[in-house]
Amino acid sequence: MTRKSDSSLTDDLLRPVFETSTKFYVTAAVLAVIVAAGFGTWFYQIYWGMGVTGDNWPVFWGLHETNFVFWIGISHAGTLISAILRIVNATWRRPVTRCAEVITAFALMIGAMFPLVHLGRPWLAWWLIPYPSERLLWPNYRSPLVWDFFAINTYLLSSLLFLALPAIPDFALIRDRTTGWRNWLYGKLSLGWQGTPRQWHRLESAMHMMALAIIPIAISVHTIVSFDFSMAVVPMWHSTIFGPYFVVGAIFSGIAALNIVMAIVRRMLHLEKYLQPIHFRNLGKLMLAMSLLWGYFVFNERLVTWYGNTPHEMAALWSTQLGRYSPMFWTMIFCNFILPFPLLTIRKLRSITATVIASCGVVIGMWLERFLIIVPSLSYKGTSYSWGTYLPRWPEIVIFGASFAAMALLYLLFSKFIPIISIWEMKVGEHSNIKVAAQVQESEAAGELV
Amino acid sequence: MPHKWGMAVDLDRCTGCEACVVACHSENNIPTVGETEAARGRAMHWIRIERYWEGEFPEVQVKFRPVLCQQCDEAPCEPVCPTYASSHSEDGLNSQIYNRCIGTRYCANACGYNVRFFNFFTPSWDKPLHLQLNPDVSVREGGVMEKCTFCIQRINAGKVSAGIEQRPLLDGEIQPACVQSCTANALVFGDLADPDSTVSKLSKSPRGTKLLEELGTKPKVTYLQRGSWDDSQKR
Amino acid sequence: MTSMYGLFSTPELAQQAVDGLRAAGVPEGEITIQSSEPMEEYEFGSRDRETLMPWNAVLGGAIGMAAGYFLTSVTQKSWPMVTGGMPIVTNWTNLIIIFELTMLGAVFASVITLLYSARLPGRLPKFYDAEISNGKILVGVASPREMEKVEHALRASSGGVRKLELLS
Repeated sequence: MTRKSDSSLTDDLLRPVFETSTKFYVTAAVLAVIVAAGFGTWFYQIYWGMGVTGDNWPVFWGLHETNFVFWIGISHAGTLISAILRIVNATWRRPVTRCAEVITAFALMIGAMFPLVHLGRPWLAWWLIPYPSERLLWPNYRSPLVWDFFAINTYLLSSLLFLALPAIPDFALIRDRTTGWRNWLYGKLSLGWQGTPRQWHRLESAMHMMALAIIPIAISVHTIVSFDFSMAVVPMWHSTIFGPYFVVGAIFSGIAALNIVMAIVRRMLHLEKYLQPIHFRNLGKLMLAMSLLWGYFVFNERLVTWYGNTPHEMAALWSTQLGRYSPMFWTMIFCNFILPFPLLTIRKLRSITATVIASCGVVIGMWLERFLIIVPSLSYKGTSYSWGTYLPRWPEIVIFGASFAAMALLYLLFSKFIPIISIWEMKVGEHSNIKVAAQVQESEAAGELV
Repeated sequence: MPHKWGMAVDLDRCTGCEACVVACHSENNIPTVGETEAARGRAMHWIRIERYWEGEFPEVQVKFRPVLCQQCDEAPCEPVCPTYASSHSEDGLNSQIYNRCIGTRYCANACGYNVRFFNFFTPSWDKPLHLQLNPDVSVREGGVMEKCTFCIQRINAGKVSAGIEQRPLLDGEIQPACVQSCTANALVFGDLADPDSTVSKLSKSPRGTKLLEELGTKPKVTYLQRGSWDDSQKR
Repeated sequence: MTSMYGLFSTPELAQQAVDGLRAAGVPEGEITIQSSEPMEEYEFGSRDRETLMPWNAVLGGAIGMAAGYFLTSVTQKSWPMVTGGMPIVTNWTNLIIIFELTMLGAVFASVITLLYSARLPGRLPKFYDAEISNGKILVGVASPREMEKVEHALRASSGGVRKLELLS
């Protein structure tokens, strides 16, 4: 049993939690089937061996690793919006923060699955955990894969806490508005939150500390993921540009994913009043800035490679510009650079739909970028006799598709469980606006403001 | 004094017969992956003969180069393995410890010579071929990386024999399978730490170069050829 | 033992009530205020602001840094294995592990400080009213010594919806 509140804001934002439509069940069922297919394929791969994929000699990394980097990249959405905008007090972030933080948490979880998926003997993955064993063997801290383990786990734990802490007052809100099992569940989850000034101060203080911490963590995570490549002396991998290149690409793809998710949430949960065109426009501007920055890095990388004219790097470079991988490369340039520009700059074309189309393009383009970083370089490594090719096969493609379904399913279930827009932060926005307006009126009356 | 195993490959003698490849397969229990898998690029030849064609018909030239694990002193495959499956032994060999390998395949990406191979499937030998497996060498399961070990089982057997007979190892006593089977005596194996061994002298030969030396891996295989790579192949 | 609280519909009324209670001689620590959103622009909402959280975060970071340093340099020497000609204890690469554990320490310290100082998880006090979730602000005293004075102070802030409860 739920009680209606005096505030339409609370009601609107709690409605998705309390009311479930048939569409929800159907969508959840379809997504669950796809996710189950993904898991089934993974077990098939474990049982028969990695040979069911398209990996070969010398291209030992393919779609699984592309997906890994892609999903970790998507996870940078939350950090940018939630942490950076929080620190600079950009108040327009309020309806968007939880959407973004949820993307981060789930994208990280999905991304962190892929190192397990790509292992030849995944049942031994626990050897990456540092623990004392009688073998005296600890993980090799010189290996970028061990750095990945530490970085991704740190980021995952921090993001989950960053998501969970501001949810506590909203859990308390739901506790107060419900009876029965919901009251019990949310009562436990809200940890006895009362809302005293002390508790609010501590919560905001903790959020501030965590926002300050999570920004360097996020930057370090994708830099360390880039180290998986740049630490190896492979043509076009062994470049110092990889750290910033990957971080910029991650933020770019993260904002695009956020736009898409926000648009879907807005439509499906009828939150048109709260997720307004201004939010999409602001995020669109950020995405444009990232597109330019990303283009700058790509230009930098390619010019330096082309100018250096070493045989292996030129082989890898030309395969992407004119050779086997060139359709993917030019699609990527179109999706990441040429498509977003008119859609996000020309006033007549600007709309939420246009932003979403541009964002879909960016997501596709950034996935292609990850693939193009990994596969062409491995194809042209070493002596030319040992050069090779790579084509993905159905297990990799199914798992790839299942990862998107998993993201959608987790998001769907989350929105049923916790309000997707942070209610207390919206209330703060409302009354601080009123207070600021009142202060402005007072100052004007007192003749302080012109 | 610890040994430092090394090899010399005389490109002027190599005929490209691939006896070394076959010998290596049979000595080290390397599976033959079959036609489909080989077409997918999954053949596992710990030593391979790289064959390059040059020129247009009828002035076509063929060049052969046996490539095997170079047992680099500063191996790029070693620091990147998260479980220390790829590490350096005291004898200067790059050891691949199958039991530690979890199959991330990062070592193969880091190897500039592409001499590391992955067991994409767990190998099996149809009866009665399972009877020809070498009992001194393990059979690797699917998901594990492997590569040339300089026939460490023969090195260890040689060390054990010399230890029992309480004498030092003789130069040329230990021969990996490829060295033993080479019809042209193009492959020489020995202890680089012993200045009198054949391989030590050959490694200092003016005909000697290292493969992909600019990578800085300090490989222990010396390739000998009369002149430049082009000259050596002229008949 | 009885408690008394009032529900106020605007922050200004709540501020009046708090001031009234203070004037009635109720000690600061016995005045309980609860709201469904932080009210930092108002005086009553800005009490209890001092916190050691930043220092705790720094301390947590320092502990993480030490943990990272010892984890890497000690375990790398427990079975010294040569890889790639690099030294056994590689400080450049250990910095990465140390950095991650430092940040993790800072995050954990912040969360622990929050849980401890906000007294979470805790049980709801006797006079928590679910009307707070409707935007009301609760101002009350758990065990008032002078019942009439407290009642008078709470009733004095008139206007809006008010609720006075006497609980045992």
